[in-house]
Amino acid sequence: MGKMWVIATNTFREALRKKTLYILLVVALVAIGTSRFFSFLAAQDELKMIKDVSFATIEFFGAILAIFTAMGGVSGEIEKKTIYTLLAKPITRKNFIIGKFLGQSMVILLNAILISLFFIGLLISKKAVPDMEIYKSLLLIYIELLMIGAISLAVATFATDAFNIILSFFLFITGNLSVYFKQVIERTENIIFKGLGYMLYNIIPNYENFNIRDQVVVGVNVSWQYVGQTILYGVMYIVIAVLVGIYFFQKREV
Amino acid sequence: MPLLKVTGLSKVFQLGRNKTVTALNNVNFEVEDGEIFGILGPNGSGKTTCLKLLLGILFPTEGSISIMGKNQFDVEAKSRIGFLPENPYYYEYLCGTEVLNFYGRLFGMPKGLIKERTEYLLKLVNLQDAGKLALRHYSKGMLERIGLASSLINDPKILILDEPTTGLDPIGCKETRDLLVRLKEMGKTILLSSHFLSEVERVCSRIAIFHRGNLLTTGSLSSLLNQYGADNLEDLFVKSIEKYDVELESGKPVAATD
Repeated sequence: MGKMWVIATNTFREALRKKTLYILLVVALVAIGTSRFFSFLAAQDELKMIKDVSFATIEFFGAILAIFTAMGGVSGEIEKKTIYTLLAKPITRKNFIIGKFLGQSMVILLNAILISLFFIGLLISKKAVPDMEIYKSLLLIYIELLMIGAISLAVATFATDAFNIILSFFLFITGNLSVYFKQVIERTENIIFKGLGYMLYNIIPNYENFNIRDQVVVGVNVSWQYVGQTILYGVMYIVIAVLVGIYFFQKREV
Repeated sequence: MPLLKVTGLSKVFQLGRNKTVTALNNVNFEVEDGEIFGILGPNGSGKTTCLKLLLGILFPTEGSISIMGKNQFDVEAKSRIGFLPENPYYYEYLCGTEVLNFYGRLFGMPKGLIKERTEYLLKLVNLQDAGKLALRHYSKGMLERIGLASSLINDPKILILDEPTTGLDPIGCKETRDLLVRLKEMGKTILLSSHFLSEVERVCSRIAIFHRGNLLTTGSLSSLLNQYGADNLEDLFVKSIEKYDVELESGKPVAATD
C-alpha cells in the first residue's frame, strides 16, 4: 500500500497544481449558481431546479474530470517520459495502476465535495434543509464517477487518447440512456441484432442505475437496499476495469 | 560473480503488421562490482534500448538480464539501482526538494533519511539554493543535476546514467565527471551511456561499443586500442564502426570480443 499511496498522493498533488480542476470547478459552480436566478418561478420549483441542475452538473463535470485525470495519469506520464523514472524504481506496474486509480479517486472526491458543498449551501440559503435522499444521490454520483474514471484508466493502458475520449463519452452517454437502449432492443425483430443488443446492454455500464435525482427532486425516498446494491454493482465494474488496466499495462512497453 | 550480466539480449520492435526493427541483437556483456562501464555508440545504435531493457521498462525479445543475481523486474534488485534518463523529464509542478522526497518515498525510505539525503544531494549537485523552486523554472543544466541527485537518493549500488552531461556547460560537465570518479571511489558501479568520447575515456574502466543494435566490442580501453591499432578512443570508435560496416557489406559475421 505504501508505494501505491505515494503514486496516489502525487497524482492528487498534480491535479491540485494544474488548472483543469479549477476551471471545471468554476464552470460547475457558475452553472449551479445561475440556477438560483429563476426567481420568477414559484419557491418550490426553484428548489427543484437547483437540485436538478446541481446533480446534473456534479455528474457531467465530474465525468469530464474523471476521464481527463485518468487519461493523463497514464498517457501523460508516457508522453512526458516521467514513466521511465517511475518504472525504474522498485514499484510494480500493478502498484502504478492502483496508485493512479486511488489518486484520481481523491481528485474526483475533492471536486465532488466542493461542488456539493456549494449546492448544499445554496439549498440552506433558500431555507431548505438537505435531507438524506440528497446525500444518497451524491454518493451514487460519486460511485458512478469512480466507474467512469476506472474505465478510462483501463482504456488508457492500451489505446490512444482520442480513442479513450470517444469511448468514455460514448459509454457515458449510452450508459445514461440504457433504459431507452433496452426499449430499442426489445422492439428489434432481427434475432442477431437483438442478441448483439442484449450483449452490449449487459456489457455497457448502466449509469442510469446511479441516477436517482428524479426521485430525490420530487421527494420520493430511495431505499438503502437499492443504494447498497447499486454501489456493489459499481464496485464490481471498478474492480474489473482496474484489473483490465493492470493486465494491459503489464504487457505495455513505454 | 558479476554485478550485472547480460546474456543473448535481443529486442525486436514490431512496426505494423509485417515490419520489424531489430534494435538489439544478441548482446552479451558483464559489469563487475565497482567499475565504471561506458556504453558508446552512434545515435540509434541501441544504447538507450539496452538501458531500458536493463531497467525493465522494455521487455526483451530474447535473452536474460541478471542484476545482483536477480532479474531486471525484481523489486529488490531495482531498489539498489539509481537511474538518470537521457534529457530527464520530471514533474514540473514539483520543486527540487519534493522531487527527491517523491522518489525517496518510492524506495520506501524513512522520512528522516529522505530529508538527510535530500540536503546532502542538493549540496552535492549545487542546487541547495534551488530546492524550493518548481522544476518548470529550472534550466536544462539544473534539470540534469536534479536528475542526477534523484538517481542517487537511494544510495544505489548500481548507477545507470544515460547521457548525464547533455545540456551541461563545460564546468557542469567537469563537475559531473569528478562526481562520477568520487562515486566510483565510494564503491558505486556505474553504467554510463554517452556520446562524449573524452568523458568516457577519462572515467571508464571498460567500454562497450554499440552499432546498429550490435555490440561490436567490449573490454578495457588499453586492450581495445591495441586490438584495433588505434591511437585514442575516437580513433577506436571510428575504426570499430568502419570495420563492422565493411564486414557487413562483405557478408562476414561480426562477433563481439571481451
